[in-house]
Amino acid sequence: MAQLSRDRRLLAMIERHCSGVSVNNFGVLSMKQLFVSVVTTFLFSAVTLSAQSDEVPRAWDNNPDLNGIWQAIGTAHWNLEDHPAGPGHPDLGAIGAIPPGQGVVEGGDIPYRADARQQQQDNFENRMTNDPEAKCFMPGVPRATYMPHPFQIIQGNQKIQVVYGFAEASRTIHMDKANPEAPPIDSWMGRSHGRWDGDTLVVDAQGFTGEAWFDRAGNHASAALRVEERYTPMGRNAIMYEATLTDDTVFTRPWTIRLPLYRRLEDNARVLEFKCVEYSEDLLYGHLRRVPTREAPDQ
Amino acid sequence: MTRTLLRVALVLPAITAFFVAMPGALANAVAAEAEYHHVHITSFAPAVSVRWYTEHLDCQPIADRDDAADCQGVEVTFVPQATQGSTQGTGVNHIGFSYLDLTAKMEELESIGSRGSGVRLQRFEGGEMIREAPGLFKYGFIFDPWGTRIELVEDPDRVGFHHIHLSSTNPDETLEWYQSVLGGERDSLRDRIDGLRYGDVWLLAMEHEEGIPATTEGRAIDHIGFVVDDLGNAASEMRSAGAEFQQEPTVPENARTSARRAFIYGPDNVRLAVVESGFAGVDSTFVEETIADSTPYDPAQTPWGEPDLQGVWTGNAAHGIPLERPSDLGDVENLTAEEAAARREGGTLGSIWGYEREWRDTTLGYDKNAPSTQVAMIIDPPTGRLPERTPEGQRMAEEASRAASLYTENRSAGPEDLTPYVRCITRGLPGLMMPSIYNNGLQIVQGPGFVAIQKEMIHETRVIPTEERAPLDEKLTTYLGDPHGHWEGDTLVVETNNFNGRTNYRGSSADMKLTERFTRTADNRLEYQFTVDDPKVWTQPWTGIFTFNLDNEQYDVVEYACHEGNYGMTNILSGARALDRERAEGSR
Repeated sequence: MAQLSRDRRLLAMIERHCSGVSVNNFGVLSMKQLFVSVVTTFLFSAVTLSAQSDEVPRAWDNNPDLNGIWQAIGTAHWNLEDHPAGPGHPDLGAIGAIPPGQGVVEGGDIPYRADARQQQQDNFENRMTNDPEAKCFMPGVPRATYMPHPFQIIQGNQKIQVVYGFAEASRTIHMDKANPEAPPIDSWMGRSHGRWDGDTLVVDAQGFTGEAWFDRAGNHASAALRVEERYTPMGRNAIMYEATLTDDTVFTRPWTIRLPLYRRLEDNARVLEFKCVEYSEDLLYGHLRRVPTREAPDQ
Repeated sequence: MTRTLLRVALVLPAITAFFVAMPGALANAVAAEAEYHHVHITSFAPAVSVRWYTEHLDCQPIADRDDAADCQGVEVTFVPQATQGSTQGTGVNHIGFSYLDLTAKMEELESIGSRGSGVRLQRFEGGEMIREAPGLFKYGFIFDPWGTRIELVEDPDRVGFHHIHLSSTNPDETLEWYQSVLGGERDSLRDRIDGLRYGDVWLLAMEHEEGIPATTEGRAIDHIGFVVDDLGNAASEMRSAGAEFQQEPTVPENARTSARRAFIYGPDNVRLAVVESGFAGVDSTFVEETIADSTPYDPAQTPWGEPDLQGVWTGNAAHGIPLERPSDLGDVENLTAEEAAARREGGTLGSIWGYEREWRDTTLGYDKNAPSTQVAMIIDPPTGRLPERTPEGQRMAEEASRAASLYTENRSAGPEDLTPYVRCITRGLPGLMMPSIYNNGLQIVQGPGFVAIQKEMIHETRVIPTEERAPLDEKLTTYLGDPHGHWEGDTLVVETNNFNGRTNYRGSSADMKLTERFTRTADNRLEYQFTVDDPKVWTQPWTGIFTFNLDNEQYDVVEYACHEGNYGMTNILSGARALDRERAEGSR
């Protein structure tokens, strides 16, 4: 019975993975049919079948193969810290409300310096107009990782490209270049250099503009931010993501967030183009319309 | 130059300012008793530069020289070489020209406009073109298209080429050095500015504002040239006066005469040439790029066995190729290298109204890639021209043109009136693949079954699957469509449809099916072929082609945060609102 139950799970997964096989109610299938189905699947898609094992997939060089489409689940994009439910924009009713969530910061709170905590609270007060996400600005690191959108990892033999969809953001993790002392230029997504530490992809990201936020709660850092990310596969379909953030001008000590990333298992999973600029234009330029839709922002 | 020009034996233009000797004007010359001979300016198309200085600054062409102009006794030489930007921040702040009526001259230059001419005025803070220094004279500033800052003054004592103004950490010591090594007469311009006179041309020095001046070598003014009668004697005198030689006196390769030339470094990182009388420059010949090895290229494979297209590519060499064959070129197969250089130069001059030369040259890496000699991108139809439009295509084109004129009249009521490119949304397809005016990098990263193609300009990344996958439903349209890729031999073929139709390329519609073919034809060349099949608009499909060049070593794709820094949008809209107010006040 245990074996059958395992086979049922297997079949259910095969069903999701292989559009060529349709088994709606395997309770009425004979063992022969089951066998044929499984063999057919094996013949047509060895990759799909091997996907069933929970082993970490391996790339050509035997490092973990992180290729795929991934997404965080949870409320980190609302607030990295523990937070109760709260109101959103009144026009959106409950749709805009802040769902409650448990934090992903190890040890509880972000160790802000006093004025930096005040800045976070000011950011939160003014989030409707000031959050870079509302403006369709590139989300930066680590925020891009746990936004409520899928992202795709394209793992090459020299570089790893991570494509986020939102705001057309993407970043290159250089596996083939020496990490320069100082990044050549500040940017929203930073400069990333990676290396393997056992099965963990370790990425050193720095060279940020300091304008990105970490979430919709206004958590933030400065251009001095340095992020060490660790991507550790937990079997085939999940990665434990950890990011240690260091910025002495804003935090009293380095701190770490930790959350899993899940593989999107739908057959047709895609990172769809989400060019959000046009949805931010009224917010940014409404006061400059011939017929203004907003008041000019405070200078 | 320490930078290698790849295998393209193309010598690029640079400006050399030679101060020409004024016989009999020497006094107190300590060492070389030199005279100004030339100013050496970096320019990709010397003939264009000669024309510019002739037309706008009243210099004269020099017989048998297509690379130099005679500016009232000082030779301005244009030499193709690696260019790394304008004169700004170097030890040569500017060169000066004098006019009897500066106001008229400035008005003349203003009326020309920068677009197409590359004449740029550097206005003062209040917007005025001319200021007057009490007791001195009136002055203003312009830039030439090659990044040389030029001061125009009204000094009736010397008309034409007037001075070279150095930027120095210690102006007094600098002038002393020049006098001891190269002669010249210590004098004071109108009793106001200390300087040296070489003939009646001035060498002035001002305090460098910040830090140490950058070297002139490789910049718009590469060096200043002085002339002496006998370089052998002069060199030993100069050496005993403390000059250090970067290059000993020698007859340069391809020199037009047997006169010798030497290079020394003056104070403040200013490179100086000293030439013998009779020096007439160096012949710079264009040599077309040839692929030495004609055997078929066997492209590298990724470790997992797919053709390897990875790297940082640029469209620099392809910059300037028009989509359609210009009608005046008949059935010419290829441009000559000179024609190709002039074509790209023309494109640059046409864009200087909005972008500085330095911005373009350094981001396009002009020093590295000889411009393509391809006449046009379109190879099919064989005429090199877009095929005929369908009646519907014709109607759409007319409507688009009406909408454009309406937009001009409407003056940007809101951001939606501007193009997706100006709004930093997208350049569309195949538009985003086209060589761009700057940020021309294209980075390809591959993983098994996927190719990520990242275009630097406004930052867009396409993820192409190379294995079959289910198409998106036709309702799910996007700006860049739904790509499906596969390998045909070593060629990546990408077919894309499901466009949302909110961008267009030369009038294409949402029905367009785009087929692209990426083929690595050499380690450092990636051929890009694109076919637009849009039966709604054109009576037949059409195909274009151009080549990307690999630049893994020097080029680093940077983040083009277009929307994040779109000050242009704010300025366009607030400018439009100011015009609205003006119009309202005018009609009252």
